[in-house]
Amino acid sequence: MVLIKWREGYMNLFQPCADGIRSACVVLCCSLILAFPVAATTGENRHCQDSGPLVFGILPFISAEQLVFRFTPLVNYLSENLKVPVRIETAPDFVEFARRTHEETYYDILFTAPHFFTRASQKAGYRLIASVDSPEMWAVIVVPKQSEIHTLQDLEGKRLATVPPLGLATLLVRKTLFEAGIDPDVDLDMVITPTHDASLLSSYHGVTDASALMQPPYAAASKKVRDSMRIVARTESTPHIPISVAPWLGEACAAEIAELLVNMGTTLEGSAVLQHNRFTGYRQGDPSVYERLNDLLSR
Amino acid sequence: MHRKSITLFQSLRFRLIASVVSIEIIMLSLLVWNNISIIQATHTDRLRDTATSMIQQIARTSGNYMVAVDYATLEDYLSNIIDYQELSYLVVLDRDEHAVIALGEFPVQPWPVLETHPAQVTDGVFDVTDVITVAGQPMGRVLMGFSLSLMDEAIRKSRTRGITIAVGEIVLTVIVTVLIGLGLTRRLGILAAAAQEVGKGDYSIKIPVEAADEVGRTASAFNYMVAEVSNRTQQLEAAESRSRTLLAENRNLVHASLHVQEEERKYLARELHDELGQCITAIQADAESIRDLSRDGDSRIKTSAGAILDVSSRIYEVVHSMMQRLRPGILDDLGLVEALKDALAAWQERNPNTHCLFNASGDLANLGERINITVYRIIQECLTNVSKHARAGTVTITLTGTADLLMLDIKDDGRGTDLSAPRSGLGLIGMRERVESLGGEFRLDSRVGEGLSIMISVPLPGDEAQS
Repeated sequence: MVLIKWREGYMNLFQPCADGIRSACVVLCCSLILAFPVAATTGENRHCQDSGPLVFGILPFISAEQLVFRFTPLVNYLSENLKVPVRIETAPDFVEFARRTHEETYYDILFTAPHFFTRASQKAGYRLIASVDSPEMWAVIVVPKQSEIHTLQDLEGKRLATVPPLGLATLLVRKTLFEAGIDPDVDLDMVITPTHDASLLSSYHGVTDASALMQPPYAAASKKVRDSMRIVARTESTPHIPISVAPWLGEACAAEIAELLVNMGTTLEGSAVLQHNRFTGYRQGDPSVYERLNDLLSR
Repeated sequence: MHRKSITLFQSLRFRLIASVVSIEIIMLSLLVWNNISIIQATHTDRLRDTATSMIQQIARTSGNYMVAVDYATLEDYLSNIIDYQELSYLVVLDRDEHAVIALGEFPVQPWPVLETHPAQVTDGVFDVTDVITVAGQPMGRVLMGFSLSLMDEAIRKSRTRGITIAVGEIVLTVIVTVLIGLGLTRRLGILAAAAQEVGKGDYSIKIPVEAADEVGRTASAFNYMVAEVSNRTQQLEAAESRSRTLLAENRNLVHASLHVQEEERKYLARELHDELGQCITAIQADAESIRDLSRDGDSRIKTSAGAILDVSSRIYEVVHSMMQRLRPGILDDLGLVEALKDALAAWQERNPNTHCLFNASGDLANLGERINITVYRIIQECLTNVSKHARAGTVTITLTGTADLLMLDIKDDGRGTDLSAPRSGLGLIGMRERVESLGGEFRLDSRVGEGLSIMISVPLPGDEAQS
C-alpha cells in the first residue's frame, strides 16, 4: 500500500477515488513504485526506516494534553528502537478519528478502542499486531458518594454524563441500560462530554448526577476524585486495547513493532514505559477476540 | 559723571532673557529627548510584551489542535487573531516546518530572521516565534510578524506633540521673560538715572514706588537714602562752613599773634638798644674813667674798674645777641637777603660740620616786612632743626622771587624723618601757620635716611598792597 501525504493527511491510493486528481496520483505513484521498489530491510531494527515518519494515532479518549503526556514515552521508545520518527497524533473527536481511520487510513499505527479496531480492520484493512496485556476492561457508572443513586433504576430521570456516542463506554453503558429495562434515550438524559475525564468530572462537580466512563481512565483518575465517587454499576467486559498497523505498512516493519511491544517488559526502558502507561505489558494480537464487538456498533 | 551707553552683552535685560531662554532650550531639549526615549521604550516594550503574550497564548492554545491535526478549527481560531491591527502575519508550522496555517501578509521562505526586541528590527516587521508544545513535547511552532508602522506612527505623533509643547513653552517663556525683563530694567533704569542726579547734587529727586517687589523696596530704600544723604550733606556743609569761618578766624588770630609777637620783639630790641644799651655804654665809659683815674692810685680800684668793664662788655654782648634774635636790625637796614647772609654766616660759624649753601634770585628787595620776617623766621627755624636733628652734611637754601610769587626751597641731606609718625614739636606747625597766614602753601617732604625738604610758595601782593 502506498500513501501520498496530502494537505490534510494521507490518502490511501488503493481506496476507490472518484476524482481525476486521485487517479493522476495513482498513476504517478505506480510509476514511482516501479522505479523505486520498496527496499528490503537491511538489518535488525531497520525494517521501518523506509516508511518514513510513522504516525501513531490515538483515539482522543482523554484530553490531548493528557494523551501526549501518557503516550510520549511509548512513542519515544518505538522511535528509538525502530530508528524512525514516530509521532503522536489524534483527532478532534471520535467521529473525526474514525473518519480519518476508515476513510483516509491516516494513522500508521493505530491505538484505538476495541470496537473501533474491528471497524478499522473491516473498512480500512488495519492489521492487529498486539493488544494491551491486561484483563478485559469494562465501563462503569459512578456517582458522588453522597448521591441518592444506588441502582441503575435510580438513574431514571437523572443526567448521565458519558463520552461521545461512538465511544466504547457509551455503547457498553447503553447496552447495559437496555438490558436493565431502561431506555437511555427516553428514561434519562445522556449528557455527552468530549472525554472520559470530562465525563467523570461532570458528576464530580455536580453538573450531572452520574458519569459513565471506561474503568481504566477511572482507575487513572486522581485519588481525590475517586475517593469521593462511588461505582453504581459496571458493564460487560471487552478485550483490552488493540494496536494495529495500517495496511500498507510492511510485514517486517509490523512484525518489528509487534516484537518491540510484546517484549517491552524485558528491557529496563520498556518496563519504565509500561509503568508510565499503567500497563502490565503487551501480547500478540488475536483478532478473533474482538469479533464479538461487531454487534456493539450495530446498535 | 556721565552716563555711558550699555553694549548688548552688558545689558541686564539681554543677559536675563538669554540665560532664561538658553536654560529653557537646554532643559526642554533634555526633557523632550528623555520623553521620546521613554515613549519609544514604552512602545517597543509594549509591542514586545504584546507579541510575547500573544505568541505564548497561541502556542499554548494551538497544541491540542496540532496533536489532533485539527488545522481547520485552529485556522478559524487564529483568523480572529490576525485581525489585530499590529499583526502583520501569523504562520503555524508543523514538526516538519511545513506551514499548515498562514494568515496575513506572510513572508515567503526562508522565514525571516527572528528578533527578541522591536529595537532590533530592520525590515519594519518584528518577527517572533514560539514552540508549540503539548505536555512538554514539541508539536510545531508559531511564527508571527508585528508591523512597526503603527508604533512608529504613535512615536512620531508623541515626538511631534512633545516638540510642539516645548517650542510653545519656549516662545511663552521668551515673551514672559522679555516683559518681565523690560519692566525690571525700566525701573532699574529709573533708579540709575536718579542715582546720577543725586550724584550731581540734586537731592530733591524721588523715585515712584510702583510695586512692593524687590525693585520697589530698592526704590523705597533709595528714596530714604537720598533723604538721609541730603540731610547729612546739609549738616556737613554747615559744619564745613563753620570750620572755614573758624579757620579764617584762627588764621587771623595767628597772623595777629605773630604780628604782635614781632612788634613786641621789635619793641624789646629797641628798648634794649635805646635804654639798656645806653646804660651799659655809660657804665663802660664810667668804668674806663675810673680805671684811667686810678692808674697811679690804688691798684684795687683799677682791678675793680677792669672787672666792671668786663662784666659790662659781657652784658652788652648778651644784650646784642638778644637784640639780634628778637629783631635783626640788619633786616630793616639792609633787607632780607643781607639779613639772611648774616644769619647764615653766624649759623655756619656755630655749625662748621654742615655746609650751608644759599641761593637767592629774582626781585627780593621789596617783599614787605611781613614776608621778610616770615621768610627770615622760617629759615631761622629750619636751620635750628638742622643743627638739632638732621645731622646733615649740606643744607641748601634757594630763595626765588618772581613778579607775583616768592618761592623758598630748603633741602638737607640729613637722616630725614617719618612724616607719618606723631611729632611733639611746634616748629613745623608754626612754619605752616606763618605761611598760610600769608595765603601761601607749605609742603614738607621727607623719608627716613633721605633728608628733608621744605617748599614754600607765598603770593606776592601788588604794589598798592605793599605800600
